[in-house]
Amino acid sequence: MWAIEHPWRPAERSLFAETPAPLLGALALAGLGALALVELHALPEAALGVAGVAAGQGALLATALGWAGAGARAGLVAVALLAIGASAAALHPVGAVAYAGVPLWLSWRARRGAPAALGLAGPVPWGAVWTGLAVGAFLGGHLLISVARTFGVRLRVDALDLVLAAVAYDLGANVPAAEAFFRGALFDRAQRRWPLGAAVALSTAACVTRYMLDPRLPKSVEVIVGAAFYVTLLAAANCWLFRWSGSLLPGAAAALVFFTAYRLLSPP
Amino acid sequence: MTQRARLLLVGALALTLAAVTALLALEGGDPASPFRHGYLPLVVAAALVLGAPGGAAAAGAVVLLLGPVVLPEIERSGLTPEAVEGLVTLATVALAGALSGVGTTRARRLRARYETILAAQRALAGEPALELALARLHAALSEHLRADDVGLVVRDGPRLVVAGGDGVAPGSVAAQVLAGAGAIFVADAGGGRRPRRVFATPLGAGAEGVLVVEREGELGADERAALEALGAHIGLVLANARLTARQRRFAEELEVKVACATRRLEELDHAKSSFVAVASHELRTPLTALQGFSELLAARRLPAEEVSRLAGIMHQEARRLGRIVNDLLDLARIERGLAPALHRTPVAVETLIAGVADVFRRGRATHPIVVGYEAGLPRVDADRDALERILTNLVSNALKYSPPGRLVRIRARGAAHGGAVEVEVEDQGAGIPAESLTRIFEPYYRAPEAAGTARGAGIGLAVVKSLVEAHGGSIRVESAHGVGTRVVFSVPAVP
Repeated sequence: MWAIEHPWRPAERSLFAETPAPLLGALALAGLGALALVELHALPEAALGVAGVAAGQGALLATALGWAGAGARAGLVAVALLAIGASAAALHPVGAVAYAGVPLWLSWRARRGAPAALGLAGPVPWGAVWTGLAVGAFLGGHLLISVARTFGVRLRVDALDLVLAAVAYDLGANVPAAEAFFRGALFDRAQRRWPLGAAVALSTAACVTRYMLDPRLPKSVEVIVGAAFYVTLLAAANCWLFRWSGSLLPGAAAALVFFTAYRLLSPP
Repeated sequence: MTQRARLLLVGALALTLAAVTALLALEGGDPASPFRHGYLPLVVAAALVLGAPGGAAAAGAVVLLLGPVVLPEIERSGLTPEAVEGLVTLATVALAGALSGVGTTRARRLRARYETILAAQRALAGEPALELALARLHAALSEHLRADDVGLVVRDGPRLVVAGGDGVAPGSVAAQVLAGAGAIFVADAGGGRRPRRVFATPLGAGAEGVLVVEREGELGADERAALEALGAHIGLVLANARLTARQRRFAEELEVKVACATRRLEELDHAKSSFVAVASHELRTPLTALQGFSELLAARRLPAEEVSRLAGIMHQEARRLGRIVNDLLDLARIERGLAPALHRTPVAVETLIAGVADVFRRGRATHPIVVGYEAGLPRVDADRDALERILTNLVSNALKYSPPGRLVRIRARGAAHGGAVEVEVEDQGAGIPAESLTRIFEPYYRAPEAAGTARGAGIGLAVVKSLVEAHGGSIRVESAHGVGTRVVFSVPAVP
């Protein structure tokens, strides 16, 4: 028994230990630099979107990888893959396929067992994945029905290329970065220090804040309240899925299905 | 409830919720539809069966299902009576789910605590061996505490008895609690995909033991407080079990001691009864001789030689009578805890031994008596009469308990450590059994073999020992079966 047979000393590691601060600083500078150059018309406006994706999602993914002990080089690779995907998507909607580089690279690392601490290694928990799909489907379906009944919003079936590009972004950037950081890194660290409720609250609050600060979120009260409501439910459910299964895949499945439903809605 | 049954129940509740929602939808999504009341019993049932998580999940599901019915009504027409009814239903269902769930969970926790305490008491009831008691307690706690691992460490004098582990590692959580650190909570023992909570709490008020619980799951403050209380309770139960075991052991020891004392008293009573019979006989024998010979002297005219012989016999019997009476008086003093009265003077042991030997040679010349002395023996500081009685008793015993014709030897020498004279009386009799050697100086005691071969009251050696010790000397006896017995006593020399 561990508590009887193994020596123990209280851990003194900070919650934010092993954060790749130089990389995050460089990403912040790159984002600000891109903003300045766009403002000065030295770069096209689409470059700001590319820099935003690379810096924003890259910061989350690089921090998660850093906390998992993958090293700064892995963070750099993640940022580069995100930048490639965002650049390709900016050139043409079909280019969004390039976002697949991130999940492919992550699964290649997972097969080698590298980011085990993030819940990416080990066998696929199919039962939990199916549960995650059901959760995502329920929340996504609920979103569609509620929005349709309450606001009369219709499905965006006339611009499927844009929908698919957005889904590719979710698949390659949004979902992996959010799940890796908010569940695999932040929630996991928090639940190993504090009670489950506190860990869920912290991770969920951070996740909701991230989406509230997303410049792509439409600035209307209904959308902001609705986003906060559904992201809260999704984040809390994904915390539970991660704790139950020890894997990021069920939460990623739930998030992907939910965001697919969200992308089907016509913009207000 | 098994995991399978729980899953089936969750599935049934989900289906019923979906059915109620479908009925609401079929009615046109009216928030005031009577079908909305169908949610309430479902939520309460989920809370009663699954506790707070079940109640919260069911209430949340109802809010999600009823929300798309109520919100469009508010969006379209504002807070109409129908919308208010829908909102009240939402609030009622959420409140009922939360309250029922919390109440159910608390009731279950309390019940689980009482069951755990009861199981602990049962495990420790009537079990004196600590290892076995701890093993039973460990099994009971593992069954009741919903833990992945349970450990118990109890201090038993200098050693630690462990259940649920091989040994206590220095610096471990258990070792720190045993050292008096109080209860320790570790949020994650590490090494697993999920956090492994660890809680260790002292048993009882002191650090006499520790209860350790490890679980891959929540171990909240409320549960930790309950475990602390359980640890204190187990400490108390262990202390009571130890006390009961000690009392039982004392009672058993007392019973044995009382039985021994009773047996000794019975033996003493029997010995006293025997003594009375023997003493009466011992007193009567010389009295009869004195009576008979004195009547003969009075009634007949006898030749002078015969008169002299009879007077000699009468003198011997009178001395014997006097010796018995003196022994009885000394015994009475011994039993009252008093030392015999002595009148010490310098006494030459050689002269005394020669006198005693002469008396026995003249009286009954059944055994050859050999006397020997070491040259230059100092005189002893003793009561002459007492010393004579000691020697007379020992020589009398030697003659009594050895077959006629066997040699009786009396020797005197200076003690090895100086300042005393040792006198030794040795016979060639049957010897004394080893089991009787330790008891022959007890009053009234007679070795079973001796009782069958010669008469005696069993007081002679007791008197001898008290007289020797009153002089500040010591006495010991050595005997070998079939070879003989040697009694050696010492008395202090004149300084």
